[in-house]
Amino acid sequence: MNAAIRSVLSAFAAGGSAAAVTASPGASGIALERIVHRYGAAIAVNDVSLEIRPGELVALLGPSGCGKTTLLRIIAGLLAQTEGQVRIGGEAVDRLPPNERGAGIVFQSYALFPHMTVAANVEYGLRARGLPAAQRRPIVERMLSLVRMDSLARRYPRELSGGQQQRVALARTLAVSPRVLLLDEPFGALDKNLRLGMQIEVKRLQRELSITTVMVTHDQEEALSMADRIAVMSSGVVEQLGTPEEIYDRPRTQFVAQFVGHTNLLSGRLVHTADRFDVALDVGGTLSLHDPAPCSRNGAVLVSVRPEHLEFAPDDAAAIPAVVDLVLPLGPSVVYELALSSGEKVKVTLARTGGAPAHRAGEAVRLRLAAGAPVSVFQA
Amino acid sequence: MAARLMREGQLVLPLALFFACFVFAPLSLLGYVSLHTDVSLQQMGFAQYAKFLTDRFNLGVLGSTLWLGLEVTLITLLVGYPLAYLHSIAPPKWQKVLILMIVLPLLTSSVVRTFAWLVILGRQGIVNETLLALGLIEIPARLLYTQNAVVIALVQIELPLMVLPIVTALAAIDPNLSQASRSLGAGSWRTFFQVIVPLSAPGVLAGCLLVYASSVSAFVTQTLVGGGQQMFMPFYIYQQAIQANNYPFAAAIAMILLFSVLTLVTVINLLARRTRALSHT
Repeated sequence: MNAAIRSVLSAFAAGGSAAAVTASPGASGIALERIVHRYGAAIAVNDVSLEIRPGELVALLGPSGCGKTTLLRIIAGLLAQTEGQVRIGGEAVDRLPPNERGAGIVFQSYALFPHMTVAANVEYGLRARGLPAAQRRPIVERMLSLVRMDSLARRYPRELSGGQQQRVALARTLAVSPRVLLLDEPFGALDKNLRLGMQIEVKRLQRELSITTVMVTHDQEEALSMADRIAVMSSGVVEQLGTPEEIYDRPRTQFVAQFVGHTNLLSGRLVHTADRFDVALDVGGTLSLHDPAPCSRNGAVLVSVRPEHLEFAPDDAAAIPAVVDLVLPLGPSVVYELALSSGEKVKVTLARTGGAPAHRAGEAVRLRLAAGAPVSVFQA
Repeated sequence: MAARLMREGQLVLPLALFFACFVFAPLSLLGYVSLHTDVSLQQMGFAQYAKFLTDRFNLGVLGSTLWLGLEVTLITLLVGYPLAYLHSIAPPKWQKVLILMIVLPLLTSSVVRTFAWLVILGRQGIVNETLLALGLIEIPARLLYTQNAVVIALVQIELPLMVLPIVTALAAIDPNLSQASRSLGAGSWRTFFQVIVPLSAPGVLAGCLLVYASSVSAFVTQTLVGGGQQMFMPFYIYQQAIQANNYPFAAAIAMILLFSVLTLVTVINLLARRTRALSHT
């Protein structure tokens, strides 16, 4: 598969029609400036500003109804924003209809034309742009081989599997060499086995073509694995924009901490002494932090700790007392669910090294922060 | 499996019985009557068919009836498609109003609607009175009792039968398809003719079928609006059966009309099946 794509791409590089695919070094960035969108009285997108760099893959991640699809449709020009400006490649496109923006969108349902063959679907955009047949044919062939659908060119969409339909949708969009690629829940309709394969394939295509891509998803794993940067959205605003590592390790809001991955939220009081920050937890025990963020003010706080960032500690007054509730050996790791003195539950994930788990249900233990573990502190 | 099919198959019995008694039996009787050479039904033979098919007057009546159906169908399509499309792009609030306007005529009998057209198109009808008052004409124009009057009246009367199937077909089209088309660089006309029209073809064909079948047999409208001047098959059948008392000939005319329409309907149906197969994912 890899070799096939590479060979096709090197064919482009070797002087194929420039209109085919812009694996251009001058890829276009997208700038969203203070976008607001209202549906009647309801506000779907509330003052969103985003800068998407040329060639970058940004995922808009959030629960349904957070405004991510609305934002994507605004970029595509399928929806006119109430306020704000969209720029593609530095050019304001707000007054341009969708067909003049250079934004190619792949819909969640793929939206293939059911009355046209695979080849006719891919050819559609080229036809609409008035390319003569002689120029259309080689592009269609290249696009189909790019997504490995050349053998099924004469099929109708209804004769294809979900993954195949998605490839055709991708080829159809890429055929008109859009300046930016927009993917609306691209893997939502695929079953789990297919999904990973297509994710790898799309990511590779995106890399090789270095096409600026915005992907809408509600699946955090998909966002974490595919995106260069993730914009986590909630109720119409971007809660945090950052690399997958930043989003996971340093969530800036409580929403991000809870939406992306699992987390334990522990309440306590932050006390800043001369050389360190201590959080005295309500359930007993103290966490010592170097650099509490985003909140470092003295007072009531919530500390977000990932399950894999807690570990069992020797009996120590500073460690958190807990009682083991459940032990779930999951192959490569063991998940412990523990009850704190307040009755709240926390989860701890440890690598499993073989043999029986170190602790059993009912056992009283103490927990501490793993060395160098990133945590986030929020004002309570 | 077979046993279950048998058991559940019994559910169609009432309908099957109804069809047998009230559709197939009368039709068979009609066919039987048409196969007699004399009015007293003594001699069997194909004389009635031969008589019809060798007479230019008779063929003219058949031709003008089928042509009337064609005209009405085409004009209804030209008027109905834009109306259905308007419905599909209208905001939901207006969709309800439009549907009401489309369906409303169906709630009154076609006899009533035909009489309305008599009032509108008559010598002292609304159209003539208006034109006279405006001084555009000096003597009332003959609008009623013309082929055009029949076409106009039938178009209005049959319009809902065209619009409703097209509305259904348009509503079934994934709205993302036109958005995809637009974002691929197609303008709205290209999108309309390359995506919307082909995908609504099953509705168009269904509408044409209904309008055609219904307008060639619209006895009341054809007769009242067309007057005696315009002879169409349904009136011809009525005349031969009731006035001339020539039942075998009337039955033969009926069978010929039935088969002419059936042939057309079958062709349209075959076309519809092909387009339907394409537009279903």
